[in-house]
Amino acid sequence: MSAGILSQLRLTARLFRRSLAAGEYKTLLLALIIAIAALTAVGMLTERVERQLLGQASELQAADAVLSSDHPIPPKFASLAAQQRLASAEMAIFPSMVSFGQEASLASVKAVGAAYPLRGQLSLQSGATQAPQPGEALIDARLRDVLQIQVGQQLKVGQLQLTVRDIITREPDAAFDFSSLQARLMINAADLPASGLLGFGSRVKYRLLLAGEPAAVNAWLAAAQPQLGRGEAIENARESRPELKEAIERAERFLRLASLLAGVLAAVAIVLAARRFALRHFDTVALLRTLGASQRRVRALMLAQMLLLAGVAALAGGALAWLAQAGLLWLIAAQLPAPLPPASLWPWLWASALGLVLLLGAAGPVLLSLARTPPLRVLRRELTVDVHWFWQYALTLLAMMGILLQIAKDIKLAVIVGGGMLGALLLLAALGWLLLQALQRWRWQGSARLALRQMLRQPGLLLAQLAALTLGLCGLWLLTVVQSDLLQAWRAQVPPEAPNHFVINLQPEQIATFNAQFAAAGLPAPKVQPMIRGRWTLHNQQPVQPQQYSEPRAQRLSEREFNLSWGEDERADNQRVQGPPLNAAVPGWSVEQELAVLLGIKIGDQLTFDIAGTAVTAPVINLRAVNWGSFRANFFVVGSEQLLRDLPSSRISSFYLPPAQRTLVPQLVRGMPNLTIIDVGQVLAQVETVITLASSALRLVFVMCVLAGLTVLLAALETNDSERRREAALMRALGASTARIARIWWLESLLLGALAGLLAGTLAALGAWYVATAVLKLPWVFNVWLPLASIVAGMALSGLTVWRRLWALARTSPVLMLRE
Amino acid sequence: MQARQLGKTVSSEGEKLTILHEISFSVPTGASLAVVGRSGSGKSSLLALLAGLDTPSVGEVILAGAALQTLDEDGRAAVRGRCAGFVFQSFQLLPELTALENVMLPLELAGVRGAEAQALQWLERVELGHRLHHLPRQLSGGEQQRVALARAFAPGPQILFADEPTGSLDSATGAVVADLLFALNREMGTTLVLVTHDDTLAQRCSHQLRLQAGQMIDWQVPAQTAALEQAA
Repeated sequence: MSAGILSQLRLTARLFRRSLAAGEYKTLLLALIIAIAALTAVGMLTERVERQLLGQASELQAADAVLSSDHPIPPKFASLAAQQRLASAEMAIFPSMVSFGQEASLASVKAVGAAYPLRGQLSLQSGATQAPQPGEALIDARLRDVLQIQVGQQLKVGQLQLTVRDIITREPDAAFDFSSLQARLMINAADLPASGLLGFGSRVKYRLLLAGEPAAVNAWLAAAQPQLGRGEAIENARESRPELKEAIERAERFLRLASLLAGVLAAVAIVLAARRFALRHFDTVALLRTLGASQRRVRALMLAQMLLLAGVAALAGGALAWLAQAGLLWLIAAQLPAPLPPASLWPWLWASALGLVLLLGAAGPVLLSLARTPPLRVLRRELTVDVHWFWQYALTLLAMMGILLQIAKDIKLAVIVGGGMLGALLLLAALGWLLLQALQRWRWQGSARLALRQMLRQPGLLLAQLAALTLGLCGLWLLTVVQSDLLQAWRAQVPPEAPNHFVINLQPEQIATFNAQFAAAGLPAPKVQPMIRGRWTLHNQQPVQPQQYSEPRAQRLSEREFNLSWGEDERADNQRVQGPPLNAAVPGWSVEQELAVLLGIKIGDQLTFDIAGTAVTAPVINLRAVNWGSFRANFFVVGSEQLLRDLPSSRISSFYLPPAQRTLVPQLVRGMPNLTIIDVGQVLAQVETVITLASSALRLVFVMCVLAGLTVLLAALETNDSERRREAALMRALGASTARIARIWWLESLLLGALAGLLAGTLAALGAWYVATAVLKLPWVFNVWLPLASIVAGMALSGLTVWRRLWALARTSPVLMLRE
Repeated sequence: MQARQLGKTVSSEGEKLTILHEISFSVPTGASLAVVGRSGSGKSSLLALLAGLDTPSVGEVILAGAALQTLDEDGRAAVRGRCAGFVFQSFQLLPELTALENVMLPLELAGVRGAEAQALQWLERVELGHRLHHLPRQLSGGEQQRVALARAFAPGPQILFADEPTGSLDSATGAVVADLLFALNREMGTTLVLVTHDDTLAQRCSHQLRLQAGQMIDWQVPAQTAALEQAA
């Protein structure tokens, strides 16, 4: 390395270190650290929570990925998995009669390999966890009770005689496996060929379970997806549990929005701080130019300073983020079912890169145009350089859009948030300008006149200050006041006594017995709804074909049997959004709106379902919004009573069973062996974990946002701090009393604070309403007190800086201040 | 150093204002030139043109063999970096750097090896060996100007430009700084261009140029030089 480069590096490092020590980078660094810390903490937490949930989701399907098929799975999928070094296990599920002595029952037979389950654990009554060996059978309590069989005795299925080795207490993939409506018999896959059960016409569902490193699983998914044939599908635990899917998605939206806000606030602070930083560096650059530094060299020096700044901020921000999220998880450790898996370095690297982009975008053009400072400034201090503010704003905007895009992972959301922010800023500037113009028309006297004149002397700066102050305050409101309400609204969606059991196959004539059992247990009778299985065959008289949909989910849904019901039941979790209510006496369908969008169904469309061989056709009358997180029985498609009443149907119900009354489940099954009771307590617990984690993560992000907001306020008020001090020194030198100067400052800052507070409060109330209703889909009421409280807070915050300035004024002689 | 027909015109509110009128002179290497005149006479403007900190409207400046008007801004900066040193009325030390680091600055910009050792020697030379790690605000005015002198002489410039170097100092401190300036100048054989309104200080220079409203109204050279010039 040449001596020139070495000395340049040393000079860069020294200037940076000294500027850092002198507090020159204070605000800029603070803003950057907060931006990086906020983005890193959110990234780390989301990643850890997602890893945990993916792990749990994997447990719910006993594998990381599952390929299901209505015919034996082609060997190509297993060899693809072998290429990716994934563990795999094949599985077949089919209904069959199982008998023991005189007793016989329909059971769902699950033939598994020795490796089953790949994820999660099989729990057996004896405490063992192994899958059945050839010649062995595992049964659940239902089958044991119906067959009146004991462990060690032999049951008969097809042509097999199998010894019952143990009783299944929990299958990891039970909740996932909705097709297992009957009692369970688990056998070894090696016994299948000899059973004679897989003949023509048997309804077998084949599954290939896979597990391994996430990257390998993803590679397999990517390779397998395009090769799927008819009747083959990749199953996803998230999608099969809409309530879990909704909870995760809502949590992600919450976190993304909050970190967007932190990012934007920090960006505003960086822009303001960079401006101040640039203005304070004219002298340094002029001197460097006088001493012979070329423009290129000055630029390199400035760029290197920025890189160093970004590096320091990345280290400090990363450390802060790590501490914050580790501390947070430590605090809520008791509420978590298991410790979260560790986070990778990616969130930090991403956040640091974003921080650098933001810094280069916001400060780059200003610092680079500093290089054009004329050296003559060493003799004529009034000489400055035209800073390319346009480029600064354009590049900042571009950098911010990039960040929004990265965080939101959705162009539409990024454009809405970015455009909204920009629009709000322009609106704020215009409103502020109008308000100030209105104030100017008033005949002010004395200090007020001076204060107003000072404010209006640099209208551009004033408006920038006003907009920044407003944005900072607005962010604070959105987060501190609104977040707890939003979280409460969200938590309220999953009531503490949300149903944890579903009952299906209940026959109409069993309802009385069913209710009586609940009454005997001292529990209220659960609501019972009709349920009819039907295949969707025609859409506006055209046959429904999965290939006509491009989305895999739409393909699967169109192919699947629908659970239909009749009778509309409008509740908070099931609300009509478009079209009139169904008329019980007139044929018509009510369709869940997201499904309607996915499958291209509109009001007025004719839908035909094949229900046990009968074609049932009716027009779509209305669309409904369903909150799947409510854990109640909800249906994608509901018909009018007249349409479905006379068709063969069973009943579905859901209820909450306190842990102490769990015994009711075997009692119900013993009395009504055809019943299938599904325990969704596990899924419910996972949703609660998501909510606990997400709300704690949000609090952390909110703290970061509040810090970012405060930095914006600091940076906004600091922008003309030194000018104000110089003016004060001059006024004092000319004989103005401290009281007089204080009065001017107070008036000026209180006016600015009040204006910003008013605008911020109004904007926040509107923003909260929009976020709640449009993005998070939660009920929300406009808070009229917010703007009023905001005015007071704006004045107080803005007043704080006056205090600081007055404190400095009282301690410094005018000469010293002027010399500064 | 030579100035030929040097002039500067600026536009002010649509009107053209000539602040320097066709000034020509030359200063031999190692000599000292005092530019004197009242406030607003164009002293600092002339210094700026001579040092290449500003560009003339007409005429040319030859500095250490380089015709400044043929160079762009970066070219002029390179000439300054190579052969000029500066001392200003307002010291112009970087406030966040220590005394030692301020002196090291031009050496490092020029890529000199052992910048720290050289800077140290220079600070000792101006009797500030005990104030190496003080920041400018921790130094008195006289001390700051001595740091500025060390910074100016450290890279061994051929020409030193001094703009009112004692202007911000009381007379006693000013005298100390001026003595130091002339002593170092003699010792280093540097050509000195000194802008001042202090006639006593100006008398200590070999050449004197008096400006009034942008015009050169007086040019005094030592008798010996004048004789030589006449003979030529």
